[in-house]
Amino acid sequence: MRIVPQFDTYPRLVNFGQSASGKAVLLGVFALGLVAGHERLWVEMTAAVALMTYFPAQRRLIASCGALYWLIFHGEWLQWGFLRDVAQAEGQRTDWTLTLLVYGILAAVFFVIGLFFRRVSMRPGSLPTKRPVLFLTAGFALLLAAAALLPIGGMTRVLLWGAVVVMANYLWYFAYALKDAAARTPDGPLLQLGTLRPFWGDSPLPFTKGAAYLRKIEAHTPRDLSITQLKAIKLLIWVAILHGLEQALHVFVYGDPLTKRFWFIGHGDWIAPNLGVPTLQAAILTPALPLPMAWASLIAHFAGALVGIAGYSDLLIACCRMAGFDALRGSYRPLQSQSLGEFWNRYNFYFKELMVEFFFFPVFTRYFKSYRRIRLLAATTAAATLGNMVFHFFRDFRFVADMGLWPALVGFQVYTVYATILGLAIGISQLRDPGRDRPGSDARTWRRVLASAGVLSFFCLLEIFDQEGRSYGLGVYWSFLLRLFLIRN
Amino acid sequence: MDDRLVIREFVQKLLKRKGDGAPFSDSEQLLTRGRLQSIDAVKVLVFLEEKYGIDFAETGFDQSQVESVDCIVAMIQTKGT
Repeated sequence: MRIVPQFDTYPRLVNFGQSASGKAVLLGVFALGLVAGHERLWVEMTAAVALMTYFPAQRRLIASCGALYWLIFHGEWLQWGFLRDVAQAEGQRTDWTLTLLVYGILAAVFFVIGLFFRRVSMRPGSLPTKRPVLFLTAGFALLLAAAALLPIGGMTRVLLWGAVVVMANYLWYFAYALKDAAARTPDGPLLQLGTLRPFWGDSPLPFTKGAAYLRKIEAHTPRDLSITQLKAIKLLIWVAILHGLEQALHVFVYGDPLTKRFWFIGHGDWIAPNLGVPTLQAAILTPALPLPMAWASLIAHFAGALVGIAGYSDLLIACCRMAGFDALRGSYRPLQSQSLGEFWNRYNFYFKELMVEFFFFPVFTRYFKSYRRIRLLAATTAAATLGNMVFHFFRDFRFVADMGLWPALVGFQVYTVYATILGLAIGISQLRDPGRDRPGSDARTWRRVLASAGVLSFFCLLEIFDQEGRSYGLGVYWSFLLRLFLIRN
Repeated sequence: MDDRLVIREFVQKLLKRKGDGAPFSDSEQLLTRGRLQSIDAVKVLVFLEEKYGIDFAETGFDQSQVESVDCIVAMIQTKGT
């Protein structure tokens, strides 16, 4: 059963979407969807998509202009507050000179990466050009360590942290660009610009990957564009449903005021009848919490994570599709997963793809080639454990700035345990490789349901350790896990 | 047997195992369309190593190299022994 009708398969709608008026209607519906989803930049987003719709031959160029526009006018992710604090602590000016300085750093970083891109595309045989992503990540690790450890102050310190902020936000976009540079026919720097934090993807994780992927998924005919845009509208409807579910979870499970979650209800603090479940963090920190509440808190948190990540990533993909790129969804039916590996693939597809491209395959093609099982396990843990940890540690560099390098590393212990269990579990699940059931008898349906329940239970419990904060040690989370099974430590 | 036929048969087997019996053309982008996943790309990689002796350690591996039957055949012709 499908919740959202398959508009993209209706011939009359597909034909209508190719006409000028049809395009206008689709753009209007898209704008409405953004407004309903509280997308602050709906006017600019719709304008960019409209340009790409009416001038499809210039789509990639418009994407580059859009990325540049978003960088200049909506670059909040450059963490101005943090950089102002650093500048203030170092006795530096925090007015327009800081803005100029940060954009200067940005230009310098782009220039250096551009030179690197050129060298990689020329394919000389040196190690940095053969393994550009390894050098990129190692370079960033050194930069972060230098900013945290070197006994420097004043403008140099501001410059270093500025470079860290810029690199942390572009790191994996650069990785995809450098990977494309090594391709036979890479895009030039101008088109690459549109893939570096494209206007539809405000995240350090490159949703829709890089230029190579965009080339493959771009709509080349009016019919393709119409189908892709109808798929975008379909996805927006799904996002609205997910958004409603997320709000309902907050109102009826956690007890948030109705008016806080459903703006159209009005003002005041109306509380609907609710289960009064505490957040997972509160439950973990409350040893006296009744057992059913502890379980409810964990399950609600897991449900919220599933709905939240799907809503967030599908909104980005809907915008990308509306722009004419038929990208795969960011989260696709995770509840149907039959194995741990399949869940990881379905739950957060573009994160998994990043890990596979830059951690799994480099290990799998180089190491333990004579030992099939060890090879698969090593490559899987390289992706799901090591890559996962590297991504999150780099992304959350603010902990290093706030706490210092060593305390930030020590505080990362909980996430390290999470990533280690995740990597080993997926690796072992892949070694078992039980194959897939084909749709068939009731017995098989029951087996599928049981397999899915097992997968979901595992990830739900693992959610306890999926903590990106650094405030509490491992013991707190371990103790909560034991409490769930009536084991007191 | 012709390389193309061998590859087609292997890819068909991968799809069938996932319950996907729909037809596919040699140029269809199976990973981009979501019909195959990265774990299937790993199986293709191992198959190419074992059957054609291709070593990806030096050149690196990109999933787009095994995107379609056409891509795989082209790669065998370029890299194969």
